[in-house]
Amino acid sequence: MSNSRISRRALLGTAAAAGGLTAFAGPWKHNRVWAQATDKPIRIGITSDASGQYANSGASDRRGMMMAISEVNDRGGVLGRKIEVTHIDTETTPATGSRVAERLISREDCGFLVGAVSSGVANAISQVAQRNGVIYLNTNSSSPTESGKNCHRVKFVWDGNGTNFAKAAVRNSIDAYGGKVLLLTNDYVWGHDTAKSTRALVEQYGGEIVDEILIPQGTRDFSAALLKIQQDNPAVVAAAVGGDDQIALRQQVAQLGMGAKPAWINNQQDWPDVYGLPLDNLFGVFGTTWYYGLDLPGVKEFVERYQAMYPDTSMRVPGNVFYNGYMATSELLKAIERAGSTNNIAIIKELEGHVMPAAERMQHDDAVIDPLTHQVQQSIYLATANDEPRDENDMFKILTQSSPQDVRDEGALEACKLESYEDTPTFDA
Amino acid sequence: MIELLPHIVNGLTLGLLFALIALGFTLIVGVMEVINLAHGSLFALGAYFALATIGGDWFASTEFGIWWLGLPIGTRYATALAVGPLLAAASGMAIELCLRPTYGKAPLYGLLLTFGAALVVEEVIRLVWGTGEQNLSVPQAINGAFLMGGLIFSKYKFFAAAFALAAIALVWVFLERTPYGAIIKAGSHDSEMVRALGYDLSKLRLLVFGFGAALAGLAGIILAPIWGLRPHIGLDVVIPAFLIIVIGGVGSFWGAVLAALLVGMSVGITGAYAPAWSMMSMYLLLIAVVGFRARGLLGRKSALEN
Repeated sequence: MSNSRISRRALLGTAAAAGGLTAFAGPWKHNRVWAQATDKPIRIGITSDASGQYANSGASDRRGMMMAISEVNDRGGVLGRKIEVTHIDTETTPATGSRVAERLISREDCGFLVGAVSSGVANAISQVAQRNGVIYLNTNSSSPTESGKNCHRVKFVWDGNGTNFAKAAVRNSIDAYGGKVLLLTNDYVWGHDTAKSTRALVEQYGGEIVDEILIPQGTRDFSAALLKIQQDNPAVVAAAVGGDDQIALRQQVAQLGMGAKPAWINNQQDWPDVYGLPLDNLFGVFGTTWYYGLDLPGVKEFVERYQAMYPDTSMRVPGNVFYNGYMATSELLKAIERAGSTNNIAIIKELEGHVMPAAERMQHDDAVIDPLTHQVQQSIYLATANDEPRDENDMFKILTQSSPQDVRDEGALEACKLESYEDTPTFDA
Repeated sequence: MIELLPHIVNGLTLGLLFALIALGFTLIVGVMEVINLAHGSLFALGAYFALATIGGDWFASTEFGIWWLGLPIGTRYATALAVGPLLAAASGMAIELCLRPTYGKAPLYGLLLTFGAALVVEEVIRLVWGTGEQNLSVPQAINGAFLMGGLIFSKYKFFAAAFALAAIALVWVFLERTPYGAIIKAGSHDSEMVRALGYDLSKLRLLVFGFGAALAGLAGIILAPIWGLRPHIGLDVVIPAFLIIVIGGVGSFWGAVLAALLVGMSVGITGAYAPAWSMMSMYLLLIAVVGFRARGLLGRKSALEN
């Protein structure tokens, strides 16, 4: 008889277990209901760098996203839902990028991830995003592999890539200065992929690669490389060096007066990397996707909105990195609105092949999100230092513009194999 | 060999700059047995104080500012070379005052405190000077380039190396030929005995930390025109400084100088012939030295080795 009685300890244990289960099931059930309600905010995880080689560009990228989100929230949000953001520093480090992505998805309940400058970090984030079916916007990293062999169904690449910029610059430089080209390459994925594209283009146009100097990330003293360049005596140096490394390189080249000879092609020039530097640091030609001095409708108002939102920012005008962050986020929110849902597959389909009119993007050509690579095909500008600036911000002189089809990265098209919709987990944010 | 020569010269100049970076770090580790992770931030702070002194934007509209900015850049730069390290020293002393409760406790406390101080200093720099890149102007006489053996070299780099050499010599004279230096050295050897002889150990530590911070600030001013100036520039400094004092032997003045020259040579020469290995070469050097001689090149023999 006594064996069948429920002891006080067993009763308490059962009650505790039941309480625990209730506590577990309660919020879970509550969240399910909440997910269907229209007042649940749409949560975006910002994966921009706040430290490391691309800390400065990461901040600019983030400001662009925040302005797009702020404008949408001021209009009442998307599908009647406000946008909330969580930012975690990806430290310009791929391993951190993976951890940050995992955390934003699993613990911060983010339905979308936005932001990258380093291609290594972007690649790491996108692998996590693809596993979870979470749409990821690579705003500012420009390795050709991002829309090539590392492309993913959930990832959309907003910046021009190394091949796009090299196509815009290499032929003109060989014609003008001769075919002896030296590659100065940041020793990570973007540098290598950009150098590979440049090498192929140089050979295609009848030039010759005389040497390739690899620059480890974090290099601050370029004197050995600059001496080697002098010993090799190339006609053109094609540099794919980014972030803080590039700033140090520019200062040291300017000190040596080597900015004019040899000729320099600096694949892409991110605005935060040069803003505020003396003009002699801005040697050579370089590519960009946007410039605040473009004489196009909407640019002036865009700059005014930037200045109104960020009155205390030392960078007084927006640059290409801010622009990409803004445009990517803005187009994501428009795609959600068009889809009428936060279902990831529905939004992906809205983004794929979407044409963005030139007037809306403040560029010379209509841009399109390539449905086969997920890279935005857009106008590419070639620029140099502005020797007749209107004011202290007016650092670039736009030399040429190339239409998207002229600079298309065919290699990425061949290399990219997007996962099928069926192989991409369905996710409702 | 003729091709190699410019890279050897370049490696030596780079080594002298590394020595300047490591000098303050080794002094603080040697005397106080504190690994000062704020060394890089003090390096940055010195450069930013110099920037404020030379540029003077914050007082440009005052009568004094107009007069000051009218002075030649050489005068303002020379003043900055004094003001920057002094203010960095004051900041270092403030950190040392915060460090006091950690003395006598596990080294981790001091390490964490200086790490926290580094983060605070970096954020203060961001708040005061912004996040963007800054440009530290230098006098025209030491700017630009010159030709040697058909190759272009930076005048400033050679000025910086010569300055580093002078700073190393002055610090050595101070430590070896003055009574203050003797007290500091004695403090690093046996602090209890120094206290027993009637010297105020707290004051000694405060001054040593200030001196080390001043040297960090001075290195920041000298290196900023080469490496650029941004709030997180200090991160680029701590790791080489740490490697150098381990390779040279913790607390050894000449060990640090020798190690810095070796690091400079290895980075400079691999930078030309195996550039992908140039950063890695520092670590390989560390492994090679510590693998064969755990106490570093000129480090004191540990009691455990007897």
